[in-house]
Amino acid sequence: MPTIHTDPPTLYAERSDWADVTPQAQYENVNPLAPIFYTEEYKDATDYFRAIVKSGEMSERVLELTENIIRQNPAHYTAWQYRYKTLLTIKAPLDVELRLMDELAVKHLKTYQVWHHRRLLLTETRKPVPELAFIARSLKADEKNYHTWSYRQWLLAYFNDDELWDGELEFVERMLKGDIRNNSAWHHRFFIVFQSGTRKGDEDRDEVVRRELAYVKQSISQAPNNASAWNYLRGVLDHSHTPYSTLQLFVQLYTVPHSPGETAVEVIDLENPPPSKDSQLPCPAAIEFLADIYELEGGNGIPKATELWKSLANEHDTIRKKYWEYRIREALQSTGP
Amino acid sequence: MSHLSRSPTDGYPTETSNLQAATESTLIDHIPDTDDTSAATLQKNAHIQFLIRNLVQGFPSKYTSQDASQPWLMFWTVQGFSVLGVALDPTNKQKIIDTVMAWQHPDGGFGGGPGQAAHLLPTYASVCTLAIVGRPGPGGGWDQINREKMYKYFMSLKQPDGSFLVTHHAEVDVRGIYCLIAVAYLLDLLTPELVEGTPSFIASCQTYEGGFSSASQPYYSLSLNPTTPAPTPTQPSVLDSPRPPLGEAHGGYTFCSLASWVMLQPLTPSSEPKPEINYKRLLRWLSNMQGSEVEIGGFKGRTNKLVDGCYSWWVGGSFGLLEAVGVGGHGDPQGLHDDGPASAQDTENWDDVDDSLFNRKALQEYILYAGQHPAGGLRDKPPKTPDAYHTLYCLAGLSSAQHRVLPSPTRRNVLLDAWESTRGMFVTLPRSRDPLDSLRKSVFADALSWSEEEGTSKFVGGNGNRLNGTHPLFNLTMTHTEAIMGHFYKQKVPTRKKAKAGST
Ligand SMILES: [Zn+2]
Repeated sequence: MPTIHTDPPTLYAERSDWADVTPQAQYENVNPLAPIFYTEEYKDATDYFRAIVKSGEMSERVLELTENIIRQNPAHYTAWQYRYKTLLTIKAPLDVELRLMDELAVKHLKTYQVWHHRRLLLTETRKPVPELAFIARSLKADEKNYHTWSYRQWLLAYFNDDELWDGELEFVERMLKGDIRNNSAWHHRFFIVFQSGTRKGDEDRDEVVRRELAYVKQSISQAPNNASAWNYLRGVLDHSHTPYSTLQLFVQLYTVPHSPGETAVEVIDLENPPPSKDSQLPCPAAIEFLADIYELEGGNGIPKATELWKSLANEHDTIRKKYWEYRIREALQSTGP
Repeated sequence: MSHLSRSPTDGYPTETSNLQAATESTLIDHIPDTDDTSAATLQKNAHIQFLIRNLVQGFPSKYTSQDASQPWLMFWTVQGFSVLGVALDPTNKQKIIDTVMAWQHPDGGFGGGPGQAAHLLPTYASVCTLAIVGRPGPGGGWDQINREKMYKYFMSLKQPDGSFLVTHHAEVDVRGIYCLIAVAYLLDLLTPELVEGTPSFIASCQTYEGGFSSASQPYYSLSLNPTTPAPTPTQPSVLDSPRPPLGEAHGGYTFCSLASWVMLQPLTPSSEPKPEINYKRLLRWLSNMQGSEVEIGGFKGRTNKLVDGCYSWWVGGSFGLLEAVGVGGHGDPQGLHDDGPASAQDTENWDDVDDSLFNRKALQEYILYAGQHPAGGLRDKPPKTPDAYHTLYCLAGLSSAQHRVLPSPTRRNVLLDAWESTRGMFVTLPRSRDPLDSLRKSVFADALSWSEEEGTSKFVGGNGNRLNGTHPLFNLTMTHTEAIMGHFYKQKVPTRKKAKAGST
């Protein structure tokens, strides 16, 4: 006789395999203000969950219950916490759990818990390499997802093995090629190049700095009004204690409007790639950078810096007028009258 | 409004610039014509109705995603009332106290709802809610907070790198640290032991951009430092470097880091190696988070992301915190104020009364024009719907752009003079030899020294838009902060000079 497959009753209250548990209502003797109107399914599942937490039961069916709650509310951190303890206690296969998480993470990219649970699993399974491809897929759904990027950085730093790191620069270059303005990707680049030790092939640090400066200058020349690239440039210089003044020739190209007859560049200066034809100049970030160079120069540099700050305050970056005026005050004060 | 220049795309469009351009098109439509003065009115009644609906009728089922954040829903609502100058009646206050107390965990701290595990974030939201509606004595909430267990709970979350888990088996992040320190301040729970290593952890979260990330990754040395005996023999020591931030600079994490940093000042070691953050880079980053005129001067939370009303508080509010540690300052080196303070209505002289480092006027405009939903409640940006979270942080951001609230050395001295040595929770020694007494005293005086600078408030849209000031560290009104701290530190708070503008 063919069996007709029917879904089990949706409510735990109707299920015989849960009949031994007495559901526990959320509020007893309190009539709460600002209540949430839960669906019947959510109320039912969490009533049983409270009873389970109280009894301390850790079993296969607790995994089913917590999964049910998490699917309805992935931010239920207590359900996650209890699930994790249950997994370890009953020695559930963690690779199965990880496959379930593949589905949940992409569905609920913005919750802290899906990503942290994954971390906990990885510290147990210790198989980080397949994670890289998973993360890359998740980033396709949301290229600036904070948790996804932090998770990738954690994975690299925590396991810290060469096989993991091998393709990382290539990966981030691909991401930046996709969107040159993706600040998360720029941050990732800084993280992998400068902040977590020295990688194979990167032992010559001066060479690394040269490579990064060339990369970011090229990027600025393609799209000069990109705050992410300018911040990266400053980051590289600050980190390597390279004077800003070494970039003066480069930034000056971006502080003035395009000149009418500039189409034909006679000599291509690889050190100082010029702004692209369609770029919108002058670029306030370049003016700011040049002012910083003048300020550091001191003496006659200060009035020159002040002129630039004034042009930002009154013309090119008026929303930050207060900030530019503050920079002027500070520069004048620190040099004295 | 076509004269406003759009953000340059350099003839090189990407997903980021396309999204930016679409957002600017929507925002431009929300900039009112110059003769339309009603657009600059804060629709207080509509927002109050929105909050009352949430409190009394409750939240629709789509808020199930916030089931583990019930204390936040409550805090956003009641603090929204406080900022709007609405006091709750005793019956509703009592109902709220009873609701909050159902969230306290038997082992200390508060959870996201009854029966939920304790967690640092709802602990902050619960304690702040009690600061607003609670009182001393039986049933008042304040004396039913189990502070001994809360302290033990805090210590159980502590990590070797000075950070804290937000709850057991969960992530480390600076939101949790902020919540923990704020609660420790309010409830008189701060000890050097609790926050040892925390300033260094916070400093390590500053990224090359200047803002702060969610956390940093510790690396440990294998050998123990022989000169300092570790509390437990197996405890490894954290390396100063590498200690990379995880995630990019972000407005919410920056507020939490900076507020924690400010609160830890009385405890930050002055001896080497003294943890440091780069203020100059931080100020530059904060300043760059303000959107341009075409974005109505709202704040964004990360580089190359979109403006959003909630960053009015997280980023806008950070400028005052930075001033509190001496950056920006409100000095007047060029005698700009020779003409005396301008009157509140005189927009011509706006700049003369504005010593802050960001565009306070534009931020107020963003909230008024783009942040308000026509049906009540506030939001991220149009055409989004309002929600409880954005309603509070838009209002608090608007308040912080209206009022300049900064630590006052005069007020601090008054508080120090009035201090009476009292027994904190941890004392076993006689009072005179209590090493914590001086720490508690400076924590108390630092926290309550924040005061509104006279003659510096500014209300776009007129005085009718005035909101109550809110404490830049806690996001509670001064009155509520003084009341709860006075209670837990067992101090009588000296009365302030009456502020001249009344609340609504
Ligand atoms: Zn927001």
